[in-house]
Amino acid sequence: MFAGTLLGCLVAVHLLLIFAPGDAIDSLPNAEEVRPLLEAEWHLGQPAPIQVASYLGDVLTGDLRTSLVYRPGMPVADVIAGPTLRSLGVLFPALFLSILGGVALGAWTGGRRLSLARPLVWSVAIVPVFLIARLTIAWTNAATWSLMQSGAISRPGWFALPIEDHPLRWALAVTILAVGSGALSEVHAESESLFRRLRDAGYVQAARARGAPVWPHILRNLIPPLTTMISSRAAFFVGGLVILEKILLMNGIGAILWQSALERDYPLALGITLVTAAVVASLRLVGDVVRTAIDPRRREVA
Amino acid sequence: MSWVRDPLPWLGAAILVTVLLAAVLGPLSGYDVVADADPGRVFAAPSAAHWLGTDHLGRDVAWRLVIATGPLVGPGLLACGVGAALAIPLGTASGVLGGPVATAIRFAFTVVEGLPRFVLVLLVLAIYGHDGLILALVAGVAYAPTLGEAIHERLEGLRQADFILANRAHGVPETQLVLVHLLWGACRRLIARHLLGLFAFFLVLETTLSYLEFGVQQPWPSWGNMLAFDLDYADATPAALLAPALAIWLVLAATTWVRRGLSDRGHDA
Repeated sequence: MFAGTLLGCLVAVHLLLIFAPGDAIDSLPNAEEVRPLLEAEWHLGQPAPIQVASYLGDVLTGDLRTSLVYRPGMPVADVIAGPTLRSLGVLFPALFLSILGGVALGAWTGGRRLSLARPLVWSVAIVPVFLIARLTIAWTNAATWSLMQSGAISRPGWFALPIEDHPLRWALAVTILAVGSGALSEVHAESESLFRRLRDAGYVQAARARGAPVWPHILRNLIPPLTTMISSRAAFFVGGLVILEKILLMNGIGAILWQSALERDYPLALGITLVTAAVVASLRLVGDVVRTAIDPRRREVA
Repeated sequence: MSWVRDPLPWLGAAILVTVLLAAVLGPLSGYDVVADADPGRVFAAPSAAHWLGTDHLGRDVAWRLVIATGPLVGPGLLACGVGAALAIPLGTASGVLGGPVATAIRFAFTVVEGLPRFVLVLLVLAIYGHDGLILALVAGVAYAPTLGEAIHERLEGLRQADFILANRAHGVPETQLVLVHLLWGACRRLIARHLLGLFAFFLVLETTLSYLEFGVQQPWPSWGNMLAFDLDYADATPAALLAPALAIWLVLAATTWVRRGLSDRGHDA
């Protein structure tokens, strides 16, 4: 299923690119002069099914071909390796932050009858990623500027957001992605209701009475719904990251995807699509494996 | 459901109806989006003449908020139509027929869902060019698997339900069984909930793309491009920044509240 999904995504996006008006050669200054030569070299003159089959054959042997326009002649794998690592460097911390932050908030508010935290977290979570980023940048810069004007502080290294490549920009990206993808809010709601349910559960009270630790019960109940949630939110994380990279001027695969699609750089756009689909499919696969490992009922069904 | 016990779904519905009315009546108001610019009243504070003040070109923020509902509501409803037209027949066929048909349809759903929605939309817009129609179409296609899969799951569980078997035994035609008993009887709130989700998704898409200068272009207003003025304006009023942001938040919250109201009844939770 994993490989089938990836191949299906590649075929779908390849067809989108093939049937688009214009091609990569159009973006070159002497397009008509070099067209006959490049059509053969870039596999653009062949019928659509042959183009797709030939590309998939190359991918299966590990060859993602070379970039056509963005970095002409450079292997796609080399072009996207660094940006992919940078993007994953935001994605995974955001994933962990949403889990750890959500569970911590849930543990804190789960013991209270009335809590303002949940509507507050929900209110922020429904805001689109671009808007959270826009307001955060505007308010942080404005507050810092007024402090600088009053002489309270000198110009910080990161000022003004988002121009400087500074750890604060990375931390902002991680936090905005964790909140804006909706994951933090969902983990919080899930763990809060679980902590409330478990507080009164007979087996938890029995464990407490005999002095046994309660945490194994909590983890065993919490991990399956959390992995389901992360699996279903994986695509939101990646989509949010593409937007965030553009707004925070971060050089990840989202920014390159945008550029490669504009320039009709098919191999590059397809390579990035493959990476994003693989990240989403891997997170779903990990979710399934963890759920099956923890929940004996799923093992019996399997 | 009582509006006294839980007023939020009703408040949400009122907000959505207001947006719909604004989209219909806004163009009839005679407000001229081009002629409204006035360098003499840049970032004016809210007043009786300009309820939410003016923006960086001296244009009335409140009127632009109203006019901006146009590119949101029409294409948003079209996206819902496209999503429903794809997902309802496919999800129903998959849920009712089962077997290889269901396997093939669900594989197609998995493939589309395998690509992050935003990545798919950006790719299509970058390749085919941006306009409201393409955005609506691609948003509908990108969201259809979510709705289709939900319908499949609901109908799969009902395929052998007692009331279905009883109707079949009484000779109720298969079409009536599917349309009346399954789709209308068991799935209408689920479909309505998902279509509201699709509208919210379209709102996020439209405002995000307009903010990134890839959607509605100036001088035409969108809640997204109203937020995209230069960050260096030191004299920007809070109203100019917050009014479009609040409008986006309110409509997204309204769709969530109405969806919650739709899930409170009977087995359709």
